[in-house]
Amino acid sequence: MKVTVNRTTVELFEGARSQHAVLRYLVHRRMGAAKLHQGRIYDAYGHEIGLDAPLREGQIIKFRITK
Amino acid sequence: MKKLLLTLAAVCLLGAAARAERKEVHILSVNDMHAKIENMPQLAAIADSLRGLYPDLLIISAGDNRTGEPLNDLYEIPAYPMVILMNMIGFDATTMGNHEFDSGAEGLGKLMHMSGFDYICANLDPAPAFGIYPRPTEIFDVNGVKVGFVGAVEVNDRMTPDTHPDNVKGLSFKPVLETVQQYKWLRDVCDVVIFLSHIGYDADVEISKDLPWVDVIIGGHSHTAIDGGEMHNNVMITQVVNRLVNATHTTITVDNGKVVGRKAEIINVADFPKKNVVVQEVVDYFSNNPAFQRVLATLTAPMTSYEQLGCMMTDAWRVETGSDIGVTNTGGVRYDYLPAGPFTVSDVLRLDPFGNDTVQMEMTGQELKDFLISISRNDTYGFPKVSGIICNVTMDKKDPEKVKDVKITWPDGSKFDLKKTYKVVTNSYSAAIADSPRKDQGRNLNRTTASIIQEYLEHKGTIDYTGVCNVFETVSKR
Repeated sequence: MKVTVNRTTVELFEGARSQHAVLRYLVHRRMGAAKLHQGRIYDAYGHEIGLDAPLREGQIIKFRITK
Repeated sequence: MKKLLLTLAAVCLLGAAARAERKEVHILSVNDMHAKIENMPQLAAIADSLRGLYPDLLIISAGDNRTGEPLNDLYEIPAYPMVILMNMIGFDATTMGNHEFDSGAEGLGKLMHMSGFDYICANLDPAPAFGIYPRPTEIFDVNGVKVGFVGAVEVNDRMTPDTHPDNVKGLSFKPVLETVQQYKWLRDVCDVVIFLSHIGYDADVEISKDLPWVDVIIGGHSHTAIDGGEMHNNVMITQVVNRLVNATHTTITVDNGKVVGRKAEIINVADFPKKNVVVQEVVDYFSNNPAFQRVLATLTAPMTSYEQLGCMMTDAWRVETGSDIGVTNTGGVRYDYLPAGPFTVSDVLRLDPFGNDTVQMEMTGQELKDFLISISRNDTYGFPKVSGIICNVTMDKKDPEKVKDVKITWPDGSKFDLKKTYKVVTNSYSAAIADSPRKDQGRNLNRTTASIIQEYLEHKGTIDYTGVCNVFETVSKR
């Protein structure tokens, strides 16, 4: 399953959740997995979504560090 | 003059009659509560307050009431606490979320039997063998206003909701849109029509184009935080994040059988200053659940290292999922000592407390080797714990945190073929942080890793990990 986080496409297991996409994005960007809990996740419409929101193929999400 | 007064009186009376026809429907809705039982006393207090103002208040859930809190999910009857608390709060209806099926058809049938509220789900067929009789629609009479609901749960390419395939054995689902369209007649017999949806926000927006006969979509599944209600294609869509952080209060104004106003506002549940004390008592009772002291297995000797406990965890996942190899990041093993004696449910939840899902993937030996090194690099706790193989890890002399090489063998010392493909099981965190290249990213088995450990311990009865070690680390000479 491919998902885009902040314009970076990451490939994840089927049934992954928003936190998994952000974790992969963070390690890909060498920012460290711990940053996951220092930010918020938003969908393509700009709505905040939970850490365990289910994802679908091709979904676009954004991660913003807030702390 | 007399004539004029009579005319004025008649106009006033007609106006009063017209005003009498204008009515409001109030709905308190939540979605994806995921068994956040500690916020149920606040939700109950909100429901009490709103009911004081609006006695005909409807309380509705858009599904995924369970799964996410061991106090609820590991109860003797899984998810029983949430059903009891929803009964106490006075829920009128829920739709099915994909997680409603997490204890299988039999488990769901039992819960439905105990529920004092309706399960509205048009795209799930009744399954009498399990006592599952969802209602496709429900019409509530709210102070003379007929409010019709049709419900649906998301289905994937296999035409089942996202749960372990075993959980939906014997159940049959239908596509969402085609099914919901069959209930368009609700518009003819109701003043207000609501689609109670567990298909996710994007899908709600998409489907709203095809449902001009629906007034409001109360949505769930995608854990989307909508600030009140949003209009899409003249349908108002609501949804709050998840885990009872917020709830939505929707007001629908109906004038002479027609919807003339729709608005929704968010109520903060988590920080609501009042709690319903009776509901709190029941939550306290469930929180002190003696079931957590239930003995799963007996340890004949103490477990004295992260390595031993990690070996046990990964053995559990490997054996119970029929995989060749089990892997966990070392940070996923939360303690390094357990005395000989009983191994309880509570011990498992302390050992593996993150609610990780189980992920199975197919990997070549080389991909596995790269996977292990990648976890080691991205998890600050070092080289992962493994089952089914032995890893001889050489750490870099210049940078002792960095893995220089890994030699993998089978436990009997025989050669491990790096070109062959193996079935590997791990937790969702490790699968996410390992960014090494591989053909198969795997699939979520929709079971928590902790629940699989419990199952393994129960199957084993007694365990002894004295001297067990699958990872040997040395430092390179150069």
